[in-house]
Amino acid sequence: MKKNQLAVQARHLSVRFGTFTAVDDISFAVRPGEIFGFLGANGAGKTTTIRVLCGLLIPSAGQAWVAGLDCQTQAADVKTKVGYMSQRFTLYSDLTVAENLAFTAALRKLDTRTLQRRTRELFDFIHFDYPQNSMVSDLPGGIKQQLALAAALLHDPPIIFLDEPTAGVAPAVRARFWSLIRQLARAGKTIFVTTHYLDEAENCRRIALMRDGQIIALDSPRRLKASAFPEPVLEIEPQPGTSREWLRKLKLDPRVARIQPHGRRYHVLVLNGPAWQGIARRLPKTLSLRRIQPSLEDVFIRLVEAEVSA
Amino acid sequence: MNLTLRGFMKKEFLQTLRDPRMSFFVFGAPLLQLLVFGYAISTEVRNIRLAAQYAPGDQLARRIEARALSSGWFVPVTHQGEDPFALVQSGRADVALVAPAGGLSRAARRGDARLQVLVDATNVIQARAVERYLGAIVQGVIQETFPGQAPPSPLGLEIRTLYNPAQVTTFHMVPGVMLMLLSLLTILLPSMSLVREKETGTFETLVSAPVKNWEILLGKTLPFMILGLVLVHLIFLAAVLIFGLPMRGAYWKFLLAAVMFIISTISVGTMISTISRGQQQAMMGSFFFLFPAIMLSGMMFPLENMPQALVWAAYLNPLKYMLTLLRNILLKGGDDWVFWTNLGALAILALAAATFSFKRFRQTLN
Amino acid sequence: MSSGFQVNRAASITRKEVRHIFRDPFTLGWAFGLPLFFVIFFGYAIDFNVKEVRLVVSDQDNSRASRQLLEVFSGSKYFKLSQLPPGVSPQRDLSRERAKGVLLIEPGMGEALGSGKPYQIQLLLDGADNSTAGIIISYLAGIQQAAGKRLLNQTRSAPVRLQTRFLFNPELSSPWFVVPGLLAVVMGVLAIMLTALTVAREWESGSMELLLSTPVKPLEIILGKLTPYLVLSLLAVAMIYLVARLQFGLPFRGSQPLFLVGVILFLTLCLAQGLLISVVTRQQALAVQLAFLAGLLPPLLLSGFIFPVESMPAFFQYLTMLIPARWFIVISRGLFLKGSGVVELAVPLGMLLGMNLLLVAAALKRFKKDLEP
Repeated sequence: MKKNQLAVQARHLSVRFGTFTAVDDISFAVRPGEIFGFLGANGAGKTTTIRVLCGLLIPSAGQAWVAGLDCQTQAADVKTKVGYMSQRFTLYSDLTVAENLAFTAALRKLDTRTLQRRTRELFDFIHFDYPQNSMVSDLPGGIKQQLALAAALLHDPPIIFLDEPTAGVAPAVRARFWSLIRQLARAGKTIFVTTHYLDEAENCRRIALMRDGQIIALDSPRRLKASAFPEPVLEIEPQPGTSREWLRKLKLDPRVARIQPHGRRYHVLVLNGPAWQGIARRLPKTLSLRRIQPSLEDVFIRLVEAEVSA
Repeated sequence: MNLTLRGFMKKEFLQTLRDPRMSFFVFGAPLLQLLVFGYAISTEVRNIRLAAQYAPGDQLARRIEARALSSGWFVPVTHQGEDPFALVQSGRADVALVAPAGGLSRAARRGDARLQVLVDATNVIQARAVERYLGAIVQGVIQETFPGQAPPSPLGLEIRTLYNPAQVTTFHMVPGVMLMLLSLLTILLPSMSLVREKETGTFETLVSAPVKNWEILLGKTLPFMILGLVLVHLIFLAAVLIFGLPMRGAYWKFLLAAVMFIISTISVGTMISTISRGQQQAMMGSFFFLFPAIMLSGMMFPLENMPQALVWAAYLNPLKYMLTLLRNILLKGGDDWVFWTNLGALAILALAAATFSFKRFRQTLN
Repeated sequence: MSSGFQVNRAASITRKEVRHIFRDPFTLGWAFGLPLFFVIFFGYAIDFNVKEVRLVVSDQDNSRASRQLLEVFSGSKYFKLSQLPPGVSPQRDLSRERAKGVLLIEPGMGEALGSGKPYQIQLLLDGADNSTAGIIISYLAGIQQAAGKRLLNQTRSAPVRLQTRFLFNPELSSPWFVVPGLLAVVMGVLAIMLTALTVAREWESGSMELLLSTPVKPLEIILGKLTPYLVLSLLAVAMIYLVARLQFGLPFRGSQPLFLVGVILFLTLCLAQGLLISVVTRQQALAVQLAFLAGLLPPLLLSGFIFPVESMPAFFQYLTMLIPARWFIVISRGLFLKGSGVVELAVPLGMLLGMNLLLVAAALKRFKKDLEP
C-alpha cells in the first residue's frame, strides 16, 4: 500500500507525557473521502492522536502521514492540507464573526476576495444568518460550534479533523451538525471525527474504538457488530409491575450468554441461532420479545469486557 | 506587508482597544498618573512641621523661628509647651527646636549657645534636609544679629546645578514617571497576550495554521510596539506642555531610544509569556521583573552605593539605561557617547530576551 | 440563622481556596517567598548615605591652599576625585554621566586667601539627578567648615551652634528607614495581586456561575476567599519582621499586639482591594491592568515610602489618604522606630478600619447585583 494514496496513516504511534502514556503504539489508515470515527471515553487518547496528525504535537515514537506528508518533519505543509476544529472553542469571543474569519484568513494568507467568496459559501453551507458584525460571545452555543467549523473550512482543506464537534450541544444541533459532516464527505472531503457519543458513530464509514491509548477494534459499524456479536441479541421488554421470575430463570439458562439491562429493557445474548426459539417459548407471553441488531454501545461494552478478562 | 502580520495587527488592536475600560488603562490612566505623580512627588522636602520652644522674651530664638517659617520650607505647629520629644513622637511635629533654659539670646551673648534640634529621622532624606535647612537659617540669623562675631567664611562655595538650575523637581521626576508608566504597559500587555491565548484555547487556532514562529511572535508584539510608541509620545507631549519639560537633544535620538527601550521591554514581556502557565503566573512574572526594575531605575534611590552583587543585577535593568538616556537627551542635549553605549546595552538586553523567547516558543501543545 | 451568614459555608470556600493555593506552588512562593526576598534585596540595595561621589576637579591654581582643599574633599570619604584633563570642557563628564559634579578652582585662590580676601570656588552639580545632587549639597556644609579650619585656622566657633539629635534613627541608617516602609509597599502590592485574579478567573472559567447558583452568601464568598490569603500574608509579615530585627538590626519599640492589629487591618484592606478589582472587571487581562495601575505605582510614590507626604501640594496630600499603604507606613514606622501607642496611631488605624468596611461593603454590593438576573 502506498502512503500517498491514503488520507491519513499512522504507524506505531505513541505519545507519552512524563510517565503517562496517552497514545500507546497505534496504527491505522484512513482512505480519502471516508468519514472515519474515533470513539472512546474521555482520556482514551483521541484528542492526542488528532493533535499529532495536525502537527500540533510531536509523537514520542512512531510516524504519521497526512495527505502523504510526514506530520513531524512537514508539519507546516500538513497544516495547509488540513482543517482542524478543536474540542476547545478556538474563536475569539471578543471579536465579531467577520473579524474572526478575517483573522483566520490572515493566518492562512488568503486574500480578501477568497475570504469573501469562502465566507459566502460557508455561511450558505451552515445556514448562518446572524449579522456578520455580531460579537461571537453573543451567539448561541450551537451556532458558535458551526462557526468554528466554518473557520476550520475557510481554506477549503481536503482533510478535516473534528475533535468532539458535538460535545455539549443540544441533540437537534448534533443531528444538524452530522448532516453537515455527511455533506462534506459527499463533496469528497476526508473527515476524521472523534466523539464519545456512540450513536453518532453509526454515521461513520469506519470507526476505531480507543481505550487507554490503544485501538481495540477498527472496522465498519456493521462488521464490528457482526464480529463482536456472532450470536443473536434479543431485546426483552417486560410489562411494568409484572413478576421478575422469568429473569431469574433466564439467568440460570445455559444457552444464555449474558443479560444486559438497558433502561426498562434487557438485551439478552444467546449462544447460537437455534437456541433462541426454545428460549422464547419458555418465557411468559406478557413479555414483548424481538431480535435486534446490537448497538455500538453493546459492541463497545463487549469489547472492553473481553479486554479486561483477557 | 505580510498578510498574516497585518491580520495580527488588526486583531490585537481590536481586542485591546474595543473595550473602553482597556483603552482607558492603556492611554488615559498613564496620562492621569503622569499628572498626579508629576505634581505630587518631589525630592525637595517641604511643609516641614516645626515646633519651637523658647521663653517668651527670647528674641534670638523667636527670630530663628520666624526666619524658618518665612523660608517656605517649614510650617508651624501649635502647641502648649508639651514635651518636645512627645511632639515629634506623636507625629505632630517633624522637628522641634528647643532653646536653652536661660534663653538663647543670653547664651549667645556669652558665646556658648546650643540650640537643640530634635529631628524625626524615620525618613532619612527628610531628616538630612531639615538639618541642612536649619543650619543655613541659623547661620543667616547669626550673621545679621552678631555682625562682627561670625564673619562669613572667606572660602565660599558657589554651587551651580547645571541642566536644571532652578532645581525644578518635575524635570527630573517626569522622565522617571514616563519611564515607569511606559514599562508597565509594554511589559504587562505582551506578557499576558500569548498566555491568554493558551488559556482560552485560541492558541490552537494560531498553531493549526501554517504560520512561522516569527510570524506569531512578531504578530503578537508589533501591535504593542505601536501602542507603546503612541503612548510615549502622548506622555512626552503632556510632559512638555504641562510641566514645561525641556527637550534639549535631537528628536531622532529620543525616538530611537524609545523604540529600543520598547523593543527590550516587549521582549521581556514576551519572554515572561512564553515561560508562564496561565495569566496568573504571567502577572506574577511581570511583577517579579517590574518591581525591582522600577525600584532600581535610579529614579527613587541613588544607585551609587549598591553592594557589588546587586550592581550586577542593575546591569540587567532596561529601565536604568532608559532613564539615563531620557535625562541625558531631554535635559543635557544628548551626549553621543552616552547615547550609543546605553542604546547598545538596551539592544543587547532586547536581543537576549527576544532570542530566549524565540528558542522557548513552541508551536506544539506538549 | 439559616438565611444569614454561615461560618461553615465560608469555611468550605476557604478549604477550596487553600487547595488551589497548595496545588500551585507558584502562588505559595509568591505570597510567602517573594515579599521576604524583596525586603532582603532592597534592604541591602537601597542606601541613601552616598559615599564616593564622583567629582571631577580642575585645579588651575595648583597652590598649597588648593591642594589642601582637595585633601579635605577626598579625606571626607564622601567624594572620589579625579582630574579634569586640560583643554576639556568642564561639563563634558557631567553630560557623559561620568561624574556627578565638577569642582573648579581658578588661578589666584592661594594668593587671595593669603591676603585675607574672600574667594569663591565653583562647584557644578548634575541637576538632572536631583536625588544625588541633594545628597551632595547636604554634605557640603561640613566640608566647608572643615576647609575653613584647615586652610584658615578658623577656630572661633559661631555664637550659636545647632545640636541636632536625629530621633528614632540616630545613625540615619537607610535600612531602618526603608524596611518598615518596604514592608507596607511590598505586602500591599502582593496582597492586591493575590486576590485580583481569584474572582475574575472564576468568571472566565465559568465556575463563578456555579458558585453563585448555590445558596452561598456573597459575604461568605468574600470572607472564604480572603481568609487563606490573609493567613499566608500574615506568615510572610512574620518572616519579614524576623529579618528586619535579626538581619537589619531594627528596633521594635511599640506594642506587638497593636502591630498585629495594624497588619491584619492593612492586609485585609489590600486583599479586599484586589477582590473588588476582580469583582468589577471579571476579566483577567483587565484585572491585571487595574491591579498594577492601582497597586504598584501609587503605593510606591504617594505613600510617603520615600517622598514625604507633607511635601506634596495640599490636594495631593488628601489624595494619598485613599492609599492604604500611606496609613500603614505610619503604623509600621511608628511601632518599629518611634514606639508610638494606640493614641498616636488612632487616626491611621481608624482610616484602615473604615476603608475596610467600605471596600467589603462595595464588593458585597457588586456581588449582590451579580446575583440578580
